Amino acid sequence: MGPRLMRSRVVWTTSLTLLAVLVSMFATSSARSGLGLSAFFVALLGGGSLISSTAIRGAHPVVTRALISLVVVDVTLLATFRLSATANDNLAIGAAMSIVLLGLSFLTGSSGQISLGNGAFMGVGAFTVAIWANHHATTPIAFVLVLAVIAGALVGLLLGLPATRLRGPYLAGMTLAFAVAFGAILNLFGTWTGGDSGLQLPEAIYAPRWLIRIFGPGTSSLTYNSAWLADIAVLVTGVALFFMANLFASRTGRAMRLVRDNDVAAELVGISLPRTRVIAFVVSAAYAALGGGLWTLINNSVTPSTYGFALSITILSLVVIGGIGTIPGAIIGGIIYAYSADAIAWITAHTGLNSQGNVASQLNGIIFGGLLILTILFAPMGLAGIVRHWWAARARK
Amino acid sequence: MIDVRELSVAYGAVQALRSVSFEARTGEITAVLGANGAGKTTLLRTISGLVPSQAGTVTMDGRALGGMKPEDIVRLGVGHVPEGRGVIAEFTVEENLRLGAMIAKGSLSDALAEQYERFPVLGERRKQHAATLSGGERQMLAMARAMIAAPSVLLLDEPSLGLAPMVTAQLMHVIHDLCALKDLTVILVEQNAKSALRIADRAVVLYLGTVVANDTAAAVGADEKLRQYYLGLVE
Amino acid sequence: MMDTFLTSRNVADVLGGLTNGVIYSLVALSLVLVWRSTRILNFAQGAMAMIATYIGFAVLAPTTNYWVSMGIAILAGMVLGGLTERVLVRGLYGKPEINPIVAMVGFLLVLESVAAAIWSTSSRGLPTPFSIVDYQLAHKPVALSPFALYEIVTALVVMVFIALLFQYTKVGLQLRAAALAPEVSRLLGVRVGRMLTLGWILSTAVGSITAVLVASNYFTGLTPTSMDGVFAFGFIAAAIGGLDSPVGALVSGVALGIILQFVGDYLNSNAIILVALGMLVVSLMARPNGVFTRSAQRRV
Repeated sequence: MGPRLMRSRVVWTTSLTLLAVLVSMFATSSARSGLGLSAFFVALLGGGSLISSTAIRGAHPVVTRALISLVVVDVTLLATFRLSATANDNLAIGAAMSIVLLGLSFLTGSSGQISLGNGAFMGVGAFTVAIWANHHATTPIAFVLVLAVIAGALVGLLLGLPATRLRGPYLAGMTLAFAVAFGAILNLFGTWTGGDSGLQLPEAIYAPRWLIRIFGPGTSSLTYNSAWLADIAVLVTGVALFFMANLFASRTGRAMRLVRDNDVAAELVGISLPRTRVIAFVVSAAYAALGGGLWTLINNSVTPSTYGFALSITILSLVVIGGIGTIPGAIIGGIIYAYSADAIAWITAHTGLNSQGNVASQLNGIIFGGLLILTILFAPMGLAGIVRHWWAARARK
Repeated sequence: MIDVRELSVAYGAVQALRSVSFEARTGEITAVLGANGAGKTTLLRTISGLVPSQAGTVTMDGRALGGMKPEDIVRLGVGHVPEGRGVIAEFTVEENLRLGAMIAKGSLSDALAEQYERFPVLGERRKQHAATLSGGERQMLAMARAMIAAPSVLLLDEPSLGLAPMVTAQLMHVIHDLCALKDLTVILVEQNAKSALRIADRAVVLYLGTVVANDTAAAVGADEKLRQYYLGLVE
Repeated sequence: MMDTFLTSRNVADVLGGLTNGVIYSLVALSLVLVWRSTRILNFAQGAMAMIATYIGFAVLAPTTNYWVSMGIAILAGMVLGGLTERVLVRGLYGKPEINPIVAMVGFLLVLESVAAAIWSTSSRGLPTPFSIVDYQLAHKPVALSPFALYEIVTALVVMVFIALLFQYTKVGLQLRAAALAPEVSRLLGVRVGRMLTLGWILSTAVGSITAVLVASNYFTGLTPTSMDGVFAFGFIAAAIGGLDSPVGALVSGVALGIILQFVGDYLNSNAIILVALGMLVVSLMARPNGVFTRSAQRRV
């Protein structure tokens, strides 16, 4: 296919898909669901046809990634209109966690560094949002989330700089020390962080009007509608996903993978080792902070006990179980996290355990820890890796 | 004595040894020669149990060694001085020897004394870290460490590697004397064919994992074709 | 004159810091033992020691002899360490660096959860074998109690024992050889697999002693997470001293304990972990492999 023909094909299909996505969102929210659903399928078809054409995938990778993100977001957004409030809450929490997992997955998978402190980075973002909102009468939601990202990136830089010289266990230990020290840091600035009880979120954060018009929660306030919160979380996740996919495929991403696999060779090729390691660290911290900021929005409050060392271990478990260094793995991890509480409650109910007893309350730790060990021993590539393996095996037949 | 029959060893897809057969007799030095990659080191590592074989047998005085772990083969009286000598640099000379004496019977101090007598240099440096030793001294240490356990079989992997000609000559003398003194079965792997053939009784030439010659050392040394193609000797 | 000095604030800090410091040194030592023998950083060290302590004291009725319970805790720790190496760690040798880290962190989570599931999270008081009342010098307290002295002496005895074991015994020689040159050691008859397991067994034995010392301190008690803080500081000491260096473990543990005691006394108790973290960062930037390790060139 000639380049001009391909380009016009791309332009047409992209525009059509975009239009269909917008229509599907408008139409569904104002309950004109027939039109909305049809538009949605058009979007799926358009995006899908573009994505499935390998020629176009190769020639226009960024567009392809954007479309994939868009379609995924579109599907999920539509789902939020149909889901119950608790389901939407879970979705929102899970989506935010996916962002955190993307960051850590990138750090570990792409640059081979391990961090046991991403729970604390989440806390950085979470508290940034809360503290800012408590000191300003009004503030736009996009701004406060960007602020969380910047805060995370700065702290990430602070820890990332010494991290460049450290090998595996020393780096892990340093991030562990940071995770443990985070609580003390919060206590030290207790007047700002609200001490043990944390902070509540005032009605200061608002969203732009055009966004509200599309999703129609009926009010600019964020507190009432679970679907609305889920929509925001999904949108932000989509953006984060898009950036991560591009970063992964970019020169920086390739440089990082080379540093991970053979740092001596990387140096010989002229890649700056410390710089790539720091960039990876900063990115993972920024992503974690973004997830934490979202959590504060979703929960409408922030407490220091949430962001302890246990959270960092949970994040690591999810990354490993989902699949290190893969984007689908991060999403799988987010889904697992969203429904883990329900799943454990189900297990407790069906195995006759006392739900108030010692065993039930520790089931979370036992299962996650156990899964982590089993996964790293027998399936180190995680669920995403298993699927990929199975896919490749089928292709070979 | 060591009897190797139809030994085949592969590393994954790479065939390192193909149906190798030869005999190393007691009281004799059997040189194993060949260019890089011929499979000489693999041969020794298979005999001492570090590497598993896919086919064939290795027997020592009639007893099959296949499937045994190195720790057990060593206790049967096989001493293996590996490629690069394997001297533990962070240990002192004496600690290296004590390690070798772990499976020795009899008094430790007597065993140490015997080695210090045979290798006075080691005696002088007994408290020094092995990292401070020269190449030749390390080779002596590696040999003493293998000998201190009173083995009946000695496997030597390129002992002359990196050593000056004069030191190599001394080393070959030592090997020859030890073999005679202790009635050892010596399998001497060498790239330095000339030095090896001077002290060897028999010689086996390997090329890409197969035996291309198995004869007395004199015969192998005199064979023009062998010398040119496999031993890199240009006269 | 002397008694004013000995009961002064600074000396009190030094003594108090020493008491804490030897505990950190012991933790650091057990980490160094595992690292030197198997090249794995055992993140679950504190948790394993905690479980051994629970077994020692909770399985027996509380009224039983402290020393018998301590003995059982040590045995339980050794069994746990040996089993962990055989079952869990064996599958991790030769794998990428992050695999053992991930596995041990997971193990840590499992152990703490299991302990809380069996014995609940409420704190248990253990019998204290010696008085925790400070010694008196001319009617003024010196910051040293019989219990503190017991801690210091025990720690020193353990460290000396380990040092002697490694340096002067046949077993110690084999342990060191197996860690430094496993293949050559096999060719000399060392049963390397057994040495690896032994390294873990020794490490967890030391860890159990440490956990019992920590738990039988009247003020802390025993909970599933009571070893977390101690482990963190012990790790920091090991990392600063160098994971390869037992001497480093001793020195940096004690130094850390004393410095942090002063920080807690003159500054803020919240600042303690921060200063420790800062010390770790600074130390690792200056000497990434530890202060007491001879720097090794990576061979290409």
